[in-house]
Formats: sequence, C-alpha cells, structure tokens
Amino acid sequence: MSTPFAELVREHQSMVFSIAYHFLRDRTVAEEIAQDVFLKLFRNLDSLESPAHVTFWLRRVTVHRAVDYARKRQRRPEIALEDTAELRDRHETGDPMLNRRLQALVQSLPEKPRSVMILRYQEDLMPEEIARILDMPVRTVKSHLHRSLAMLREKMERSMGGSR
Amino acid sequence: MMDDLERQLGDALGRKEPSAGFEHRVLAAVERSKKRPWFSPRFQWAAAIAASLVMIAGVVRYREAEERAAGEAAKLKLELALKITSEKLQKIQDRVNQGNQE
Amino acid sequence: MKISTIAMACLALLPALSAQELKLPANLEKLGDRAREVVDVTLDGPLLQLAARFLSDKDPDEARAKKLVSGLKGIYVRSFTFDNRGEYDPADLEPLRAQLKSPGWSRIVGVRSRRDDNAEVYIKSEGDKIAGLAVIAAEPKELTVVQIVGPIQPEDLRDLGGRFGIPKVDLGKKNAKED
Repeated sequence: MSTPFAELVREHQSMVFSIAYHFLRDRTVAEEIAQDVFLKLFRNLDSLESPAHVTFWLRRVTVHRAVDYARKRQRRPEIALEDTAELRDRHETGDPMLNRRLQALVQSLPEKPRSVMILRYQEDLMPEEIARILDMPVRTVKSHLHRSLAMLREKMERSMGGSR
Repeated sequence: MMDDLERQLGDALGRKEPSAGFEHRVLAAVERSKKRPWFSPRFQWAAAIAASLVMIAGVVRYREAEERAAGEAAKLKLELALKITSEKLQKIQDRVNQGNQE
Repeated sequence: MKISTIAMACLALLPALSAQELKLPANLEKLGDRAREVVDVTLDGPLLQLAARFLSDKDPDEARAKKLVSGLKGIYVRSFTFDNRGEYDPADLEPLRAQLKSPGWSRIVGVRSRRDDNAEVYIKSEGDKIAGLAVIAAEPKELTVVQIVGPIQPEDLRDLGGRFGIPKVDLGKKNAKED
C-alpha cells in the first residue's frame, strides 16, 4: 500500500468513527476506538494489499473493537453521556427526532444483529459482504436483518401509535 | 426493495464526522508511537515471542514444582502406609512368636 | 494357660481377583466420624509410581522400598483410633472377611488375645505367586485395615526393616495361633 497514511485517515475517518458511534452511541468512546483502529492500521499497513482490503480490514477491526468495548462496559457499566447530547451532522438528512429514536433502537439490539444493521444501513453493504466482515453465514446475516427490521417496525409502530 | 423504514434507517445510520482535529490527533498519536519502539510490529513480535518463552518456562517450572510437591506428598503417604503395615505385622509376628514359645 | 481364640483384627488388603481394591464395608467407612484419628492412605496406579520415583536410589532403605513398590498396583491403609473401647462393632468386619474368603485368598495368620487384640493376615495367590496381601488388626481402641495389591513376597517386607521399620516377619508358613 503506497497511499500516504494521512490520506487514508482522511478518507476513512468518518466510516470508522460512525461504525463505533452507532454501535455505542458515545462520541468520546467512538473517537478513542477510531484512533486506536487507525494506530493499528498504521502498524499493519504492510500486510494490507489494496484499498479494498484496507476498507474491509477497517470495518472488521472497528466492529470487533466496538463489540469488545461494549462487553467491557457491560461488566463495568458507565453512564453514556451521548444519549442526552446532541450529535448533529452537517449532512444529517431526515427527521432528527426519528433518527435519534432509530439510533437508540438499533443500539438496543444484541451485538451481532446490531453490527449487521450498522454495516447494512450505514455502509450500505450487501449481506454477502457483511457475512465476510463478521465471519458469519450469509443466511445468518439475512436472518438478523429480517428479525431486526421486524422488531424495529413493531416498536416504531407502537411508539407512533402511542404518541397519537 | 427498500421500504420507508429502511430508508429511515439509512438516514439515521448515516456516516458522521468525528470532531474537528481528529485526523491531526491520529497522526500525532502515530508519531508518538514511532518514538516508542514497543509499538512497532517487529518489537511486538519479539516481545510476544519473549513473553511466550517466559510463560512456557514458567509453566514448565510450575508443573515441575507441582509434580515435585505431589511426589513428595505421595512419598510421605507411602512411608506412612509402610510404617503402619510394618507396625501391625511386627505386632502380629511378636504374638505368633510368643505363642510358639508357650 | 493357652489362650486360644482367634480374633482377628486385620483387614487389609483385599487384592481381589484382578488386583482390585477390597470394598470397605459402609459401617467401617462411617467410623471416621467417631474416631479421634483417621489415617486414610490410598496409593494406586500412577500415584504409587510417582511416590516410588521420589524414593532415592542412593539410600539403601529407600532403594529397597522402591524396588518393592515398583511392582505393586496399589497400597490402601485405613486406620481408626478411638478414645474409648467399644466404639466399633467387630461384626462390622464380617463383610470384609467374606470378601477374603473368595477364591485365591487364604488366611495365613490369625491371632486372638484375651485383651481383644485380634489380627489376621491374608495372602492372595495367583498360581504359585503371591498377588496381594491383606491385614486386619482390630484392637480395642484401634482398627486397621491394610491391603497391598500386586506381587509381594514376605521377604520383600522383611527387607524393608530399616527406615520404614518393617519387621522381619516370616509369613511364609501358615500360622493360626490362639493365646
């Protein structure tokens, strides 16, 4: 890989940060994880053969790091401040309230379906690509997607019904 | 086909930017790590190998110590068993001899 | 006066047919609750060989013990010491004696005294070889059962007269004495 490292950071920082952020909904932690992932990338750059390989590697490592962090946090619960903090993006589209509600619902999913949903809807990946990143059968990915969507749909309908 | 919910999820889970200066902080961290050889992959390999060797040596030594302790304990048990057996047999022998003399 | 009653007291090794451990009757197992002191030594298979490995080859007594033990399959000792007489029922030993009546076993010594010191020694034969030894020593305040499984010669025990205090016993001929 001959791309300058700074360029790689610039190109991928939003992807790496967003995977961690959507997984944990904690901006500070997501930035720490993203920084660690890039440091690791720097140390492993020689073993990565192409830009596609770098992207694949970053997604995979970021998901693993986020899962590890979530497990540790489960054992030693902390209060995540991000739930109350605003995280607006210049490019945010759609209804901000609805977005936050959906983010919270995704974050409430178990770690595997949560990873699948983030890769599917943040990264717009197909089940086959998600399966490779997460090392799971394609049918498992599809099943996580199907069940998670059903659950989200039900909860959204219930909350919208309740708000009427 | 994407339905409304999926489109909404696409919006909600859109990529976000880290805070300003993130790139700079990453590059600074990389620079710092270059000054610390233990962050280099080669050093980490060497350290991992050294740690493995130390661990293996420790395990071997621990096993040896453990086996020695178990062996010594078994030896003490054996000595106790032989002592008790010998005492009982001695007593029986004395009694048999006594009877023969009578 | 010649006293005669064979009270036995030893239960020891019941190297049953294929070098199996004698089964200690349940009533005897429970004696541990009442005993002041209990010795329970079970050395079989690998543990016995491990113990043997830790016996020195340089010390003559240990070297002899090592030789003796190296062919054995197991050594089992149970000894109960009581504060008072009558803490166990001599009849509890009967199931053990019954096991020692199985083919191959023979009692070579039986001693009974007026003071209720009873002892028995049994050997297990396989062909013309001794494949095990059992001792039952029942004293008023102490009950001991020993079982040695594996080839053992009385001379082997005699040879261990040093460090372990093994007596020079002559158990080669059958004795049945009554005091």
